[in-house]
Amino acid sequence: MQSESNISIIDTQEPVIKITGLKKGFGNRVVLDGFNLELKRGESVVVLGRSGSGKSVLIKCVIGLYKADEGEIFVLGKKISELDYEGMDKIRANVGFLFQSNALYDSMTVRENLEFPMRRHLKNISPEDVEKRIIETLTHVGLAHTIEMMPSELSGGMQKRIALARTLVLNPEIILYDEPTTGLDPVTGKEISTLMTETQRLYNTSSIIISHDMKCVQRTADRIAVLVDGVCYAIGTYNELERSNDEKVKQFFE
Amino acid sequence: MKLPFYINNFLSETGSISRFITRFFGQLFHPRYEIRQFIRQCYLIGCLSFPLIAITGFIMGLVLTMQLRPSLIAYGVESQLPIMVSLAIVREIGPVITALIFAGKISSGIGAELGSMKVTEQIDAMEVSGTNPFKYLVVTRVLATTLMLPLLTVLSDVISLYGSYLGVNIKGHTSLQLYFFQVFHTLQFSDVLPALIKTVFFGFAIGIIGCYKGYNSSKGTEGVGRSANAAVVISSLFIFIIDLVTVQITDILGLN
Amino acid sequence: MANKTGENVTLGFFVAAGVVVLIVSLYLIGKNQSMFGSTFHLRARFENVNGLMAGNNIRFSGIQAGTVNKITVIDDTTIEVDLLIEKEMKPFIRDNALVNIGNEGLMGNKVINIIPSRYPGGIITEGALLLSKSTPYPDDMMQTLSLTNDNVEVLSGDLVSTVRRINESKVLWQILNDTTLSEGLRVSMSNLREATVNINNLSASLNSVISDARAGKGTAGALIADDSVATHLKQAISNINNASKESLEVLTKLDSIVSQTQTDLSHGNGIANALLKDPLMVDKVNASIENIQKGTTSFQESMEALKHNFLIRGYFKKQEKKKSKAKK
Repeated sequence: MQSESNISIIDTQEPVIKITGLKKGFGNRVVLDGFNLELKRGESVVVLGRSGSGKSVLIKCVIGLYKADEGEIFVLGKKISELDYEGMDKIRANVGFLFQSNALYDSMTVRENLEFPMRRHLKNISPEDVEKRIIETLTHVGLAHTIEMMPSELSGGMQKRIALARTLVLNPEIILYDEPTTGLDPVTGKEISTLMTETQRLYNTSSIIISHDMKCVQRTADRIAVLVDGVCYAIGTYNELERSNDEKVKQFFE
Repeated sequence: MKLPFYINNFLSETGSISRFITRFFGQLFHPRYEIRQFIRQCYLIGCLSFPLIAITGFIMGLVLTMQLRPSLIAYGVESQLPIMVSLAIVREIGPVITALIFAGKISSGIGAELGSMKVTEQIDAMEVSGTNPFKYLVVTRVLATTLMLPLLTVLSDVISLYGSYLGVNIKGHTSLQLYFFQVFHTLQFSDVLPALIKTVFFGFAIGIIGCYKGYNSSKGTEGVGRSANAAVVISSLFIFIIDLVTVQITDILGLN
Repeated sequence: MANKTGENVTLGFFVAAGVVVLIVSLYLIGKNQSMFGSTFHLRARFENVNGLMAGNNIRFSGIQAGTVNKITVIDDTTIEVDLLIEKEMKPFIRDNALVNIGNEGLMGNKVINIIPSRYPGGIITEGALLLSKSTPYPDDMMQTLSLTNDNVEVLSGDLVSTVRRINESKVLWQILNDTTLSEGLRVSMSNLREATVNINNLSASLNSVISDARAGKGTAGALIADDSVATHLKQAISNINNASKESLEVLTKLDSIVSQTQTDLSHGNGIANALLKDPLMVDKVNASIENIQKGTTSFQESMEALKHNFLIRGYFKKQEKKKSKAKK
């Protein structure tokens, strides 16, 4: 690991996210126990795992919401454990995070929700640009008419789209999806999955998707990593893993 | 060394509140400063609490006067009514009642608001959006309560004194001018300043406890309710503890 | 954005109102505590400050002149009080002014009075030490009051019994009502006085005659030999005899009058005798008794009022309890 800490040149082949030997525990409970994963540019990887297996913890470590106990995470070539608050902010401006519960600010309108990250991250942006980007992204998610509404007036699917729009206004290189279809009806879930693949194509993003909704996984995944007992138990395409004979892998595809 | 559960619980709670306070001061003096949000919180916390505090203050002054009158008449010192009421209001009742009402309204509000933000990951979302949620949510709110409560107390005191003036006039008669002359003649800096200073601490306690409880809310809607409840209970308790400490400090300093 | 501006305006109004109220209040209070005006210091020493506190008012001839700044104990019998006096009072306070500690009303705050001296003095300097004048402490006052109270009780008891005796005396009232008696008495008394004077003169002349006779022993024979002288002498002696008889009569009469008066006044006492001599005196005594009565009623009233004062009520309650115990 010592040798890897000196990496500073980013070539196109370099993965946008590289996780090595990640360990994270809460109290006496170990959640991640030496997890490894690489995410290439333009790729979308689904992390599959049972509830409470530490999938959300994994991507929250990537974005810096949790501090890793051991191991290293490189995001866009930067070792995040060595970053100060400012440096982390720069990474976060390029990494979108779609929360499981959407995390829309319920005291703000849709417009203000979208304005918030732009005003925070892009300090020199002009008001016209802000407005242009808001309209653009809202149109992309198909909810331009809700711009003056409060999040509480929107349905679950609409809230999810607004949340996605909020991560998109910053034009991130990477988007981390935390269970994007959980709690939605199958039709809306399908719409969201479609929107995710469209987004990946249009905005040219790489993504890590946490999910256990197999339909969503099938639609969105380039590769699938199976998280069992805190380690990356298996990795491969949907078809590869579906054919696997391993008990621990098979249980997800039944 | 194994401590009983509740003692252990109490100590760990005290420890994390202290840590939270340290974190507050650590963040307070470093940019960036969330001034717009601070002003907005001042409006939400200060201005919107004013009607409630004005009503309770007014009633307090009126009732206190009417309650005190019979005993003062019994001692034949009815004319001392404005003096006694003003001292009671300015020194103790004004600050404490205002703080308790304020705690009931604001501490629970903050606890519930931050609790639900915590539970719905809005706090995490803020962090991801390039905002230090502690500065944006906690520092602004705690500063707002710390600065707004003294203001509210001053206004509430004046309204209470006006209520008391009306109370004096229900059965007796005095002019507003004479009443306020008597009041201001009685009051000294040693009555007003310690009372005002303690409201700063009341405000701080209310803000910090509300934020602490909300910020550390456990998952689920039940956790939010519990945070809001605990915020009110603990901050009310803190008000009395601070009151006790201030009275002893002012006593030691010879200001009583 | 429009409603944000509204919010800001409301907040601004709220903060401004609070700050203005605070400043005005502090100023109003400060005016009483002379914290914002220019001031100078004076000192005064007392043996006992009676609960004076920093912040208490200072009056100069009854005018608010400043506040007590600090109280320090210098030694076991001396306490120094630092006085903060308004500058504008400086020309009027002389260095021979006296200070004492008083009360604002019966139960008010302590107050320091600066009492100007009647004699001219120099202009006061910063930090000068003023002479203090001890004042009676409320405790001492209460003790004195209680002593006075006891005395008055004894006095009024005596007064009541005296007045009752006067009222009950029938003879005295008869005498007082009968004007002829007093008139007659006065006449006889003046007669008596005249008679006594006569007797005095008579016995004086007799004395001189006898001494003459004794002195002229040598000539006595001649005188005796002289018939005319002898007859004169005889006559003179008989005259003397008569005179002494008369005077004896007068004396008996006087005696009877006196004894009569004495029997008449057998019930009366010293005051009654005095009363006998002059009816004017009677009126005067009457008036004074009336005055005393009025006095006692008003005293009783004030005592009653005092009893109702809550401060002293406890004391009287104790007295009553004692009384009721004594009765039992």
